[in-house]
Amino acid sequence: MSTLMRTLRNLRRVGLKEYAHQMANIGDTKAGTMIGMDKYGNKFFENLTEELPLRTRWVDYKDHEFDPSQIEPGWHAWMSYMVDKSPAEDKLLQRQVRVWEPKEHRPTLTWSRSGYKPYSTVKSKLSAWTPVVKPRQ
Amino acid sequence: MALRARPATALLPFRAGSAAFLSSSSADRAMTMKSPATIPGNPGTPPPMKVARREVPLPSQEGKKGAMQYALTTLDQVANWARQSSLWPMTFGLACCAIEMMHLSTPRYDQDRLGIIFRASPRQSDVMIVAGTLTNKMAPALRQVYDQMPEPRWVISMGSCANGGGYYHYSYSVTRGCDRIVPVDIYVPGCPPTAEALMYGIFQLQKKMRHTKITRMWYRK
Repeated sequence: MSTLMRTLRNLRRVGLKEYAHQMANIGDTKAGTMIGMDKYGNKFFENLTEELPLRTRWVDYKDHEFDPSQIEPGWHAWMSYMVDKSPAEDKLLQRQVRVWEPKEHRPTLTWSRSGYKPYSTVKSKLSAWTPVVKPRQ
Repeated sequence: MALRARPATALLPFRAGSAAFLSSSSADRAMTMKSPATIPGNPGTPPPMKVARREVPLPSQEGKKGAMQYALTTLDQVANWARQSSLWPMTFGLACCAIEMMHLSTPRYDQDRLGIIFRASPRQSDVMIVAGTLTNKMAPALRQVYDQMPEPRWVISMGSCANGGGYYHYSYSVTRGCDRIVPVDIYVPGCPPTAEALMYGIFQLQKKMRHTKITRMWYRK
């Protein structure tokens, strides 16, 4: 929800091109400082003073067909207010990757070619046979 | 010497017989059986699951050919936009998952901003959220409510009980998954799933709606 003055103020800050981009993606006009960009190319913004609570951090996705799972775990922690600093600055998030951990983040692959498709491993209840005619005696 | 000779003579016919049995059975096996684990007489193995790979383009990967397809794609986009931005769920709250479904409607995960309004009537709803354990006694009612919903309709199965029985899978009175009763579009895992997880499931359903070809499929016919 936005007031006209807020929209105009943020429009003056971000510019017409960014305004159109934001309206096409997040449907709101927001101005803030860019905190960082993750490996995939999503940009993360923050404005702690002027925005409403729980709307102070937002993401500008790289893809138009965006998905919340495209955010990496560290940035997800930052987006959901689990940590104060971005993963580039936070000491807790700068740890080494354990051997059993996946090397890179993978988004949800539902509705893509690599999506999970279940299949039955149960033996089929029906079985075909070829009838053998007993010779007449 | 005598001790050693006797068992050998005793074993010899047996060994010859067993060898003959083995050779005859291996000849049979070559003809009828494919897998060595299959016992003759029992039902055979199911057909192989990995058939030759056929690449079919996803709905999002298909290109547009001709002016007609461009026009119909635009029509589809308008219809899909209208569908996905006013999603009225039929609340089928059966158990604790319904609490999380209610959280979705409260201000933190404000569902009204997505155009989602809970309707108590199946005749006015688009999507049914099956939240909770579906018992055998409730199953006919679920099917009836689903049949009363107008087309197009979608079903979100929420929680492990609705997905496949979950904790009550071995109970005598619980349906092992609501997909035995109604066709399910989205399965939301969890016990119970958080309101965030349900919202993510709704996003996945919106993604499915976005790529639905309505008029293009009609035109193909």
